[in-house]
Amino acid sequence: MAATVQSIGAFVIGGYAGPLAIILLTVLPAAIVAGVAGRLIRISFLLTLPIAISVVLVSVFTRAGTTVLFSVGPFDATAEGVNFAGQTLVRLFAISTSIGLFGLTTNPRAFVLDLERRGLSPRFAFVALATLEAVPAMVERATVIQAAQRARGLDTEGSLRARLRGILPLVGPVILSSLTEVEERSLALEVRAFGRPGRRHLLWTIPDSRTQFVVRLALVVVFVALVALRASGSIAGLP
Amino acid sequence: MLELRAATYRYAGYAKAVLHAIDLTIGDGEIVGLVGPNESGKSTLCLVASGLAPASVGGQLSGTLTIDGESMAGRRTHELAERVVVCFQNPNTQRSGVAATVFEEVAIGPMNLGLEVPEVLARTREAMALLRLEHLVERDPLRLSGGQSQLVAIASLLAMRPRHIILDEPTAQLDPAGTRLVGEALRTLAERGTSLLIAEHKTDLLDEVCSRIVALDAGRIVMDGSTRDVLTDDRLVTIGVEPPARERLRRSLVAAGVDIEPAVLAGLPA
Amino acid sequence: MSTSWVRALVGIVAFFIVLVVGINLTGALDLTPDPNTGLVAAGNTLIVLFGASLLVGFIAYAVAEYAQTKRLDSITSQFDTRTIVLIPIAIAINIILGQTVAAALKVPIYLDSIGTILVGVLAGPIAGALTGGLANLIWTYVLPAPFHSDYAAPFFIVAVEIGLLSGVFGRLGFFRSRPNAPTPRLAVGAVIVIAVIAFIGYYGYLPYYNQNGAVFFNGDPNAPVIFTIFGWLVALLLVAAVVGLLALLFVRRDLGAAYVFIAGLACGIVSAIISAPISALVFGGVTGSGTDLLVAAFQKAGNDLQSAVLKQGLLSDPIDKTLTFFIVFAILGALSRRFAARFPQGEQAVGLEGA
Repeated sequence: MAATVQSIGAFVIGGYAGPLAIILLTVLPAAIVAGVAGRLIRISFLLTLPIAISVVLVSVFTRAGTTVLFSVGPFDATAEGVNFAGQTLVRLFAISTSIGLFGLTTNPRAFVLDLERRGLSPRFAFVALATLEAVPAMVERATVIQAAQRARGLDTEGSLRARLRGILPLVGPVILSSLTEVEERSLALEVRAFGRPGRRHLLWTIPDSRTQFVVRLALVVVFVALVALRASGSIAGLP
Repeated sequence: MLELRAATYRYAGYAKAVLHAIDLTIGDGEIVGLVGPNESGKSTLCLVASGLAPASVGGQLSGTLTIDGESMAGRRTHELAERVVVCFQNPNTQRSGVAATVFEEVAIGPMNLGLEVPEVLARTREAMALLRLEHLVERDPLRLSGGQSQLVAIASLLAMRPRHIILDEPTAQLDPAGTRLVGEALRTLAERGTSLLIAEHKTDLLDEVCSRIVALDAGRIVMDGSTRDVLTDDRLVTIGVEPPARERLRRSLVAAGVDIEPAVLAGLPA
Repeated sequence: MSTSWVRALVGIVAFFIVLVVGINLTGALDLTPDPNTGLVAAGNTLIVLFGASLLVGFIAYAVAEYAQTKRLDSITSQFDTRTIVLIPIAIAINIILGQTVAAALKVPIYLDSIGTILVGVLAGPIAGALTGGLANLIWTYVLPAPFHSDYAAPFFIVAVEIGLLSGVFGRLGFFRSRPNAPTPRLAVGAVIVIAVIAFIGYYGYLPYYNQNGAVFFNGDPNAPVIFTIFGWLVALLLVAAVVGLLALLFVRRDLGAAYVFIAGLACGIVSAIISAPISALVFGGVTGSGTDLLVAAFQKAGNDLQSAVLKQGLLSDPIDKTLTFFIVFAILGALSRRFAARFPQGEQAVGLEGA
């Protein structure tokens, strides 16, 4: 389902035009089918919350508009502002749910390996997969270095200032030690014939079915149609 | 056969050469040990003998590297990898970082060579059996001990069935059991015709597996002979290499006045 | 050297041709905001145009090189194994710093392009551009929570541009440490930088910001107090920047600081210009960080969304990018020269010196 869900994600971002509610109608059923609806909504909500607050505050109070609803200090809340905030919020939520759905239902390794099987260069696949592992690995390295620093007397718990002071000396060693490893790691890879041009025969295959192929095609068609319609202005006026 | 002739090597950006006029030949099925004090150029020699210097690391090499009759000058690293592989000291940096299980990690080499899937599987299984790693098949490579990681690294090289293997202090992180395992595996490989060069501080291991030992000091080869000749030579100590345990035993016995034939000690396990 | 300049020129010319043609084809840029959404219709055309022009520029460059040398060496050489190994680490640095440190601090400093810039400087512009783009895509699509960001994807082009620019600056040697520079040269460097800042500030910023009455230094009693405060804040920032730069130059005696400063400024300005329409278009000018207040203030002063976002960007992006460039400069300084020299562009980036 990987590539299919990917298409949904891209589709939603393209379909920023008015009818976002419609988009929500496609994401939610898919989520329910995959059994992740609850988690999806919760996570998307959490992710959208900080931005949502800002959006509301900024747009409501500063949109140039004519119908003032109420005032707080020098800032006036306008109906246009509320309208704008509402639209932006729905849009943001649509984006985050679709991408979130993709994230929750796809195994990232399977996704990347499938891409390689379909023609992605092994180097790109390596970069994607290696990044997947590199991020948690770096966090772990940071934890280890932090423990070592604490053992040498650096105080990192407590007030915000102390924690900040605890992070700063961490950043340097983590970055530098990760970087100095690059030399040895690239030698080890080259010895394992990494740079060889041409494709590899992968040990894994990911099942794909006719239905999924059809769905993907349909999604692409709809996406293109929407963009064309939007560009020509026919659906610009939807609420 | 791997052959270095008159090899002088200088790292990029450095004026002084690290290796001077090295002549080294490793025949098929031969296990050659490389000893020398720190900073003598052992690691550099490993890089040069594998072609990684200058192909990957840059720098300047004068002299020739010939493998199985073909010159390795100007070859790309993946062409080198088809013939000769290097095992490095640090198991953590030899992890590819893209394998979810140990099996995949070992299979990376054969896969990169573009082999068909059945062949990749066969070679991977063979390499893992050789190093008795079957029990680690499904483990996460990130969660292994240092010794296990090193064994996995060696296995991933063996799976490529190279004709020539160079090892730079491969047993630094291994316990005696692991060291012995590696020694056995290397001996089996030599019997099949693979040529091996092992750079080590642990002369005990070299005493056990090598037929020939080369001693390096300040970038030059100062000794090149059979294992027994080199390891019992006094010059070894003067250049700063510690002889194997049984040789040290022999010397202390001799120093204590007990006269003993080296042949008697030859029968003892190292 | 001249042949590669020809190629670069071809690419740049192609870029601008497509841009100009595209703008003319779509008619006059409609800069009036849509009353319903507040979004400028031209915003999305601009993004598409930029993307298309970049692509065409790149293709033109590649074609020119192929015509010259029958190979694509200047592009492929940037991607040797070391670069490939570096890129995931760089992306990880991007994501971890961008996600945790910056988000926690809530200041308009993103710090999410340190990895991209490192790759650009060490490996080359194309590699840097690719790192930026990949980091952006992977951040959005591939990583699971908690290292996930749904909102990075639209800024794809900005990430690519940062990598590209830092690669070019790296190749031109802007990141080289130039220690022990004689005092007169340091003085010249300081003067040049201050002159550049003053010039940009006076001719670029002040008239632009004074347009709609959001005056900073006039004591207009009708303007709300908050703008005067902002005005003085900006002035303070500028002074702090100059003082900091002077300190760096004269205390560390490293002329490289001046170069890095200018590179950072340039990159910041370009990034601001490119990201403004994206931010306004997709997010209504809101990013969930402290900059939103600035945007609100500008809008209150009568600016439309587009220019409000642009003005905010022009204030915070140069600061962010200059800071990031300096951090990369420090990292490069901490790495051994031997390490950097083995990268495709390493020698140009870090400078040739007897090791």
